[in-house]
Amino acid sequence: MVGYSGFNKYKWVAFFLAPSLLGLLTFIVLPMLASIGFALTDWTLPRQPNFIGLQNFQNLLNSAQFWNALRFTVLFILLYVPSVFVAALALGMFFNRKLPGMIVVRVTSFMPVVASWVVVSLIWRWIFNPTYGPVNYWLSLIGIEGPAWLYQADTALIALVITSVWKDVGYYALLFLGGLQSIPETYYEAARIDGAGRWDIFRRITVPLLTPTMFFVIITLIIGYFQIFDAVWLMPVENTAADRELSTIVVEVVKNAFSYNRMGYASAMSWVLFGLIFVITFIQLRVQKRWVYYEID
Amino acid sequence: MRLTKPLDVDATPAVASREAKPTALLSRARFWTFVQYAVMALLAITMVTPFLWMISTSLTPEAYVLSARPQLIPEEISLESYAELGRRIDLPRVLFNSILVAGLGTLGQIFFAAMAAFVFSRMQWRGRNVVFMLYLATMMIPGSVLIIPQFILVRSLGWINTYAALIFPSLFSAFAVFLLRQSFLTLPKDYEEAAFVDGANWFTIFWKIALPLSGPALATLGVFSFMGLWNSYLWPLFVARRDEIMTLPVALSFLQSETRALTEWNIVMAGSVVAVLPIFAVYIVAQRWFVRGVVITGIKG
Amino acid sequence: MLRRKVLMLVGLALLLMVAPATAQDNVTVRFFNFTAGSDHIDDLEAIIAAFEAENPGITIEVDGAPFADYFTLLQTDVISGDAPDVFELNYENFVTYAANEVLLDLTDLISEDLPYYPRALEAFQYEGKQLGLPETFSTVLLYYNKDLFDQAGVDYPTTEWTWDDALEAAIAINALGDDVWGLYTPIQYHEFYKKAAQQGDCEFFNEDKTESTINSPGCVEALDSMIEFVRQGVMPTQADLSGISDMELFRDGKLGMWVTGIWMLPALMEMEANWDVQIEPMINQHAHHFFSNAVVVSADTDVAEAAVKWAEFLSASEVAATVRVDSSWELPALNKPEYFEAYLAQPPANRAAVFQALESAVPPPVIERQAEMEDTVNRLIARVVDGELTAQEALDQAKAEIDLLLQ
Repeated sequence: MVGYSGFNKYKWVAFFLAPSLLGLLTFIVLPMLASIGFALTDWTLPRQPNFIGLQNFQNLLNSAQFWNALRFTVLFILLYVPSVFVAALALGMFFNRKLPGMIVVRVTSFMPVVASWVVVSLIWRWIFNPTYGPVNYWLSLIGIEGPAWLYQADTALIALVITSVWKDVGYYALLFLGGLQSIPETYYEAARIDGAGRWDIFRRITVPLLTPTMFFVIITLIIGYFQIFDAVWLMPVENTAADRELSTIVVEVVKNAFSYNRMGYASAMSWVLFGLIFVITFIQLRVQKRWVYYEID
Repeated sequence: MRLTKPLDVDATPAVASREAKPTALLSRARFWTFVQYAVMALLAITMVTPFLWMISTSLTPEAYVLSARPQLIPEEISLESYAELGRRIDLPRVLFNSILVAGLGTLGQIFFAAMAAFVFSRMQWRGRNVVFMLYLATMMIPGSVLIIPQFILVRSLGWINTYAALIFPSLFSAFAVFLLRQSFLTLPKDYEEAAFVDGANWFTIFWKIALPLSGPALATLGVFSFMGLWNSYLWPLFVARRDEIMTLPVALSFLQSETRALTEWNIVMAGSVVAVLPIFAVYIVAQRWFVRGVVITGIKG
Repeated sequence: MLRRKVLMLVGLALLLMVAPATAQDNVTVRFFNFTAGSDHIDDLEAIIAAFEAENPGITIEVDGAPFADYFTLLQTDVISGDAPDVFELNYENFVTYAANEVLLDLTDLISEDLPYYPRALEAFQYEGKQLGLPETFSTVLLYYNKDLFDQAGVDYPTTEWTWDDALEAAIAINALGDDVWGLYTPIQYHEFYKKAAQQGDCEFFNEDKTESTINSPGCVEALDSMIEFVRQGVMPTQADLSGISDMELFRDGKLGMWVTGIWMLPALMEMEANWDVQIEPMINQHAHHFFSNAVVVSADTDVAEAAVKWAEFLSASEVAATVRVDSSWELPALNKPEYFEAYLAQPPANRAAVFQALESAVPPPVIERQAEMEDTVNRLIARVVDGELTAQEALDQAKAEIDLLLQ
């Protein structure tokens, strides 16, 4: 009898599910609950924690460091997301063309995705070096004196955005490629038969049918980059304005937890971050009904 | 840039076109082709050049590292930075650690996720949806919420600076379960029924039917998992920093903070080359799976 | 068949992961350090070898990290209950660890008559208990490039120099060329507290450390005199250096004066130009950094006896002292002039300044939340350097933030 029934079946379910579920409970659910607990205490290692209710959250809201980090996080997202979105969309559409040799472009544009942020930060730190790096060298060839990129907070932010776009565009372009390839040819044929021009086809067919992918991409980007860490931790040069001022929320969480030992405070901050992400995602999910088409009528 | 016949179906054969007056349509199409190839070349170059830069710097002897004019091909090629790299960090050990962690971690992750995905997709049981919802919910938790308590947990288990700390927490990925479940759902039911008739049990079905038929999904998950573990930085930074357990990204960042002089940047770049070559190799070999995996994710939207 | 193999593999893997390190027959002392780095690891190994020869049955397991990462990693170990048996602390962090009761009380465990400098030994007492043994000390001096001074026609620095004299000299040297700079000194907490002591009328905290007085007029004056060098353009900023270290700058003859520690002496041995050292200029009085590192024993160690022996050996034995001095590593904090003869005999001519500086050595003001305070002060100082804030504004803000940290 297919699948057995009753007790036997549950034995099997337990067998298959146990490792994964136990692991999930131990390493994810339990820590998550513990984290809520930490957030409500003033736990600073190595002392014992004391319950302080929502005090951490209050301190957070009064903390200039926190707002600074939030500001930079939001700024980064505002600069980065549109840039990589447009770039990836264009690249994805380009990938969709059946040109021989395109595979080379696809393979190479995924290479940055595969490399670790440690390696990428080091390479681009060298590239953005104000005196010895190529970027300022080329700028000087056209008469512009390049800034000290990773030494000041605002220019460092731009450098980070550029590096992040370079690193991620290959990945998101492939996502768009997937979305594009799922648009049935028949739509295009029908449109062409009706005499629609290229731009019209793009506007009326491609874009609307691509909106689910677009939505997925945007959500992934925002959720992902609200948590940006590696680049901000590794790229700005030590002991400069960039290093001191440029911070993001996760950087602050890590700094508070591991450099200052303020586990309670850091946990509270991480939950605030979660809250932010949750709210934004929620809003996105609501708004998607208005602009995401799952089928052409 | 290769010359290609234009894709336009109205093109005249190449020989004839040399004599005949080229039509406006023909040269415009060729122009666009040229442009497209130029763009392709430009893109590939943009993506690859920073890595070429890295290799180039790693092969530059110390005296030339800081030249006023950045050059892609170094004046002199030397392997001294690699020698120095070998002196500063225990390369074989670090490589071994990274390979062990990424390899075992990937295998473990796939295995456990596959088992869970199996019961979520091929078996009906009460509470299935509830438990699956739990998995979905955990996917929403940002890593930064978890890192502190996971760290405390790992320390109370006495796992700091052991392979356990590096491998265990990442073995249980809800996302992997989700991905594999999607794949398992597409398998036809008849195989199972036939198997039961033949006297197989659930494990046989899992092992001999479901898994082999999900090759692509497993491979895709495998490469992403490997990549994540290989490149992991934040977590190993705090749980594995003894020399004998250190992994590549952490070793590289230590190398960089220890390097006092800018002229030693070639050593740092040499370290980067070593850190990135293996994952590139994996990628080139398995790039089919990467692309397919990402593309499929895009289709689901 | 395959299934069995897989299960075995997984089992093996699990075993590999959780198995503890192979047990030793003798006692193992785990030692974590930051002073060795890659240039002195051999020297450390030499000291270890000598110790192990004298103490068969004790093995030292050494582990190290770069200074920038050391304390974060040490915290990790300590709070994970896996603290190394013996480890190093610099003075600034000593108070935090001492206050948190993670250090073993050595008062009754150490030998009598250890030859430490009394002041150094005192520095590592806390509430009457000896919680650390002074391992090394360094001072900070003024290095100067004699050739550049000659070119600019300026007299060499003397022991009576003030910072105004230094500024004049810096301006003259800076004028020598586009790529030549007058002076370099980092502008951060450590330099600031020293200037404050030189100014004489600036305390960071009140008597019982309940309030910060960092914004007093004396402190503002001290800060301003530091920033003056940047304002006058005779000191390179980080951006100007573009990643080149100050060491490279001085070594290549592009820097007239350099304020840095005696640990840099070995790096300059191959320098082409003529150079020498002098004690730092003063504002109203002399004050020098007292950087000292201690070796401490963890309160949770299982091998206390062996650990204490190692700590003593590392900090007070003749072998250790000789190795350190011979390789110009860092100086042992021992009151034994005979160890230093060879040291003083090396160039440059005025090496005696190293010990002269000790006469006016001042340890940095330290509180429990030291890391946060230093970060705060550094951040604000940087903004003064960038011209965003005046010294007064920055220090007022610093006071406000530090007061919060003191609670």
